[in-house]
Amino acid sequence: MATAFGIITSSANHIKVAGMQDYRPMGAFSFAGRYRVIDFPISNMSNSGIDNIQVYVRENPRSLAEHLGNEGAFNINSKKGKLQLLFSDNSTANDVYNTDVAGFAENMNIIARKPQEYVIIAPSYMVYTQNYNELLEQHIASGADVTLLYQHVNNAKESYLHCDTLNLNKQKGVLAIERNTGTANSKNIFMDTYVMKKDLFISLIRDAQKMSSIYTLSQIINSEVNDLDVRGVLHRGYFATVTDFKSYFEANLDLIDVDNASSLFNENWPIYTVTSDAAPTKYYEQADVKNSLVSNGCSIKGIVENSVIGRGVTIEDGAVVKNSVILAYSRIGKDVHIENQVVDKWAQIIHAKEIIGTPDKPGYVKRDDIL
Amino acid sequence: MSQNNMLAMILAGGRGSRLKDLTNKVAKPAVSYGGKYRIIDFPLSNCANSGINVVGVLTQYESVLLNSYVAQGRRWGLDSNGSGVFVLPPREKADADLDVYRGTADAISQNIDFIDSYDPEYLLILSGDHIYKMNYDDMLTFHKEHNADATIAVIGVPMKEASRFGIMNTDENGKIVEFEEKPAEPKSNLASMGIYIFNWKLLRRMLLADMKNPDSSHDFGKDIIPTLLNEGKSLWAYQFKGYWKDVGTIDSLWEANMDLLDDNSGLNLEDPSWKIYTEDASALPQYIGPDAHIKTAFITQGCKIDGEVTRSVLFTGSVVKKGAKVTDTVLMPGAVVEEGAVVTRALVANNVRIGAKAIVGDAKSENITLVAKNVKGEE
Repeated sequence: MATAFGIITSSANHIKVAGMQDYRPMGAFSFAGRYRVIDFPISNMSNSGIDNIQVYVRENPRSLAEHLGNEGAFNINSKKGKLQLLFSDNSTANDVYNTDVAGFAENMNIIARKPQEYVIIAPSYMVYTQNYNELLEQHIASGADVTLLYQHVNNAKESYLHCDTLNLNKQKGVLAIERNTGTANSKNIFMDTYVMKKDLFISLIRDAQKMSSIYTLSQIINSEVNDLDVRGVLHRGYFATVTDFKSYFEANLDLIDVDNASSLFNENWPIYTVTSDAAPTKYYEQADVKNSLVSNGCSIKGIVENSVIGRGVTIEDGAVVKNSVILAYSRIGKDVHIENQVVDKWAQIIHAKEIIGTPDKPGYVKRDDIL
Repeated sequence: MSQNNMLAMILAGGRGSRLKDLTNKVAKPAVSYGGKYRIIDFPLSNCANSGINVVGVLTQYESVLLNSYVAQGRRWGLDSNGSGVFVLPPREKADADLDVYRGTADAISQNIDFIDSYDPEYLLILSGDHIYKMNYDDMLTFHKEHNADATIAVIGVPMKEASRFGIMNTDENGKIVEFEEKPAEPKSNLASMGIYIFNWKLLRRMLLADMKNPDSSHDFGKDIIPTLLNEGKSLWAYQFKGYWKDVGTIDSLWEANMDLLDDNSGLNLEDPSWKIYTEDASALPQYIGPDAHIKTAFITQGCKIDGEVTRSVLFTGSVVKKGAKVTDTVLMPGAVVEEGAVVTRALVANNVRIGAKAIVGDAKSENITLVAKNVKGEE
């Protein structure tokens, strides 16, 4: 059987999530209450039997390092497996230098030493489930040099604006990788997921560096698309990107829908995360919770609708929380009314009586803030 | 071995037959409690939080699940070098045939070699079937302060119930003068919690003698403690104040779960300084549907609720479908209440399915209805 090691990339420098990203990289963002975004690619790899995984980190590594320090939680073999955090020097002179290729190049020796023949590269900022073993088998059977995973969407005019798209011929051959400019609704969104041989990967990194310091892996593949056999594989099922604040907000609320949730969460494909040993959640007599995802460790006395509630959140008497994402350990005080908000961890909303956003323009409450 | 030089042994071999069908295939300490826990998580977490890092678990009845469960010491943080949770079922030895544990004391006697290998100064004996949070290190401090040969944790129970317990009669300082097992006319209300600290050298000697005594039932309460008192040893009662519950029956197991709904019950599982650790189930957060009504409930991850839930405790992966009504009820892991079913004053066992529109339990019943088999509904 062919073997692969895994690489989990950090977001490209043009992707920014206002507010949240000041505190942690996107992979460490809380998702669906009890998870972090990076739990999805790691669980995909772990469930596919890939237990040598490199995670590339650029900024604010603290929360990610802490989370991934619990190797055992991700069902990675404690002897044969390895979960490596690889840091790259962040250029402060100009953010354009901070590419994925720069990160790979800095850790080239570690990549070159990997005994596995293949590499599977997945982003830390997208949420989907995929059996990479099947993808690898498909890649080998097709004889392609590079396989790229994509999802077909019908709302690319307004969403996925920071993502790349695949221009495919009828045989699923990739003609070009282009930024989504929002010109059409029907697009093949590239899921920033690659399969190729390790040797090809290494030579692509070298090619990119020769070409330009700002070249990324997808750009070098795009420029060599005529010399290489690059193919797309269609992914089906739940897919969300965390590529800006709104997409983060929407992806969380998407999972309140039980159909979306059951497409993402499957008993045979567990998503691992690190437990906080929180007790179950207490619902009081005056609580009224509808259409929501609630994590453990909460204390709920207020009204909650269409919301995602993280671990250990307190929602006090008379509080109303609608259409919001409340991250762990926050407190929504007595009679406070909030709508369309992302409330970051450890925030307390006790003085402000009303914070109302719109679904198109959700608000953000900073971590540790007291409002 | 930890700094306090105390090793803990948890007696977890009993069936708990008053729990009826719940313990057909699992031992009582492995029975689920409080949404996400098993009963044995309490003594194990108490040990971990008290700085005890070597714990032996004595198993016997239906021990397969219990053995594999406690063997993963990582769940309680009992996995650093020199620490661990050790599963100790009866075993064959070079000088003795395979035999069952004949009593609580015999279970320890048969593992003297295990305890000796750690050379502890103190031995803590615990039972695997009580719900409580207790700092055993405080009890050890008490034991040392009184220069005791043995210390027994006691809790004040209502006088009218005292004849159900092993009762310690003490002098005004707390020194035990008499022990009475289930006395018809109790002289005190201090009930033994089945938690003992012994000086290991002394206990070791007592156990070796007890093993050879043909008249002994090899039980701590019936044999070891009375012998120690007869020999004039210094036994002290350590009075525990706090929540403590023996979940020996379906009714008491139900009650102990319901206590979690009451902020004044004295049992707080959310205290960050004394967490109860357990297995981490890979499960979604709680999915609360558009038609859900939840009033006064304790619910854990992996539950899906789209019906009415009132004064109930829902365990991992339990499901309440649209139009169903669950009141004053405990749903054990994986229990499913189908559409329109009504469940009242019941304890629904693991993975049991209550069919659509079925009616189970009775608000006026004296005892809690145990539902251990699937209930057919209209389908």
